[in-house]
Amino acid sequence: MRAYLRFELRRLARDPRLMFFSVIGPVATYLIFSGWSAGDRLEGLAAPVAVMIGLAGYGAVAGVLMVGSAVSQERAAGWLHQLRVTPLPPGQVVAVKALIGSITAIPPVITVGIAASVQHHVELSAGRWCALLLLMWAGTVPFALLGLAIGYGLSPQIAVPVNFLAFLALSVLGGLLAPATYFPGALRHLAHALPTYRYAELGWRSAAGHPPAPAGLAVLAAWTLLFAAAATWAYRRSTVRR
Amino acid sequence: MVALLGPNGAGKTTTISIMLGLAAPDAGTVTLFDRPAADAVRAGRAGAMLQDAGFVPGATVRDVVDLARALYPHPLDTESILATAGLEGLASRRVDRLSAGETQRARFAFALAGDPDLLVLDEPTTGMDVAARQRFWTAIRAYAADDHTVLFSTHQLHEADDVADRVVVLTAGRIVADGPPAEIRALAGVGTSASLDAAFLALTTGPVAGGPATRTAETEH
Repeated sequence: MRAYLRFELRRLARDPRLMFFSVIGPVATYLIFSGWSAGDRLEGLAAPVAVMIGLAGYGAVAGVLMVGSAVSQERAAGWLHQLRVTPLPPGQVVAVKALIGSITAIPPVITVGIAASVQHHVELSAGRWCALLLLMWAGTVPFALLGLAIGYGLSPQIAVPVNFLAFLALSVLGGLLAPATYFPGALRHLAHALPTYRYAELGWRSAAGHPPAPAGLAVLAAWTLLFAAAATWAYRRSTVRR
Repeated sequence: MVALLGPNGAGKTTTISIMLGLAAPDAGTVTLFDRPAADAVRAGRAGAMLQDAGFVPGATVRDVVDLARALYPHPLDTESILATAGLEGLASRRVDRLSAGETQRARFAFALAGDPDLLVLDEPTTGMDVAARQRFWTAIRAYAADDHTVLFSTHQLHEADDVADRVVVLTAGRIVADGPPAEIRALAGVGTSASLDAAFLALTTGPVAGGPATRTAETEH
């Protein structure tokens, strides 16, 4: 399994799309738009910090979903079929995919964090940075599962647009791009029910020195279960058809 | 060395899938090396080049060979794998930038890397040029001579004639002939100097055309 993990990490490092969507995209967005709300307080934090976490989450979700749904292309190319005639157990392939996906959450958190500290002199203690990184990484579990559900469940022609729509809807409505504080009431309630909002909330609360909110964890857990069920179903279906 | 022959749709690929534990048989069981096929694959006893298998973009030839080596308990060494598959000089090429023939060779390298006791090749020479084919079969012969079993399917019957010790002919999911190339000719009722193509046509088009050669084959079967 370590060999496969290494293999996938090497491929990931060579993939320019990841750099584009999960690093350059959020960093550029931060540099351009974080000034607009600079004086406000959002999610209990100074705006530059809150926007930083939102956009880091945006980049993280982009990367995680991209890796998961890329499984669709790998299935179509016959790669998973190839692996099935080796001693590598299929369950480990899924585990590596999920792990690789979640690892993509780390670069955007670091790079947007650097952008924020340079542009707005955002300062957090070393311990806060570490906690933030850890939470933003662990919080990607539901999105890794959603990505795998798309990747195993859909053909490449459908997986790409579905992935994009899911990403756009979840990140915009979840308040990762524009803070949910600015949303009208109904949309704000919707945002609070979405995994993206609750994922970023882990970061917001940790940066403010609070432990994760029980309501937030409950929402995340519910989505995680839902996406896990979808991923399991899609995975089973994909192996039976072969 | 066993050749699996049959017209399109005869069930060659399905047979291979079932043999490797990728598909479940409707009836009966498959054992490889005295255990269920999937277990033998997990234990690293089998390697395969499958028609609908392929590589992922972004990996180099060396990456995939190293991965295959890491997955099997007793792999061959990288340089000899690359040499056997004719991939010297292509190790750092990305698999998505290989030509059709080179891709086929890379897939051969992947199947071979773990030094499996059983090597299964589903139409392995598709896309290879003449020189590459010759080199490929030389490598395969050496591999089989080294106490390994090789089972391959092909539409190039002269390949089967040249290298196979045993030929199995499938039509519509059934075995219509099984034996050394010479016996296949006898079974089909064609002369010993006839090409295997003639024997193949006599055996596989028989049930539809109902020619005399086929009846001979069927009564003998």
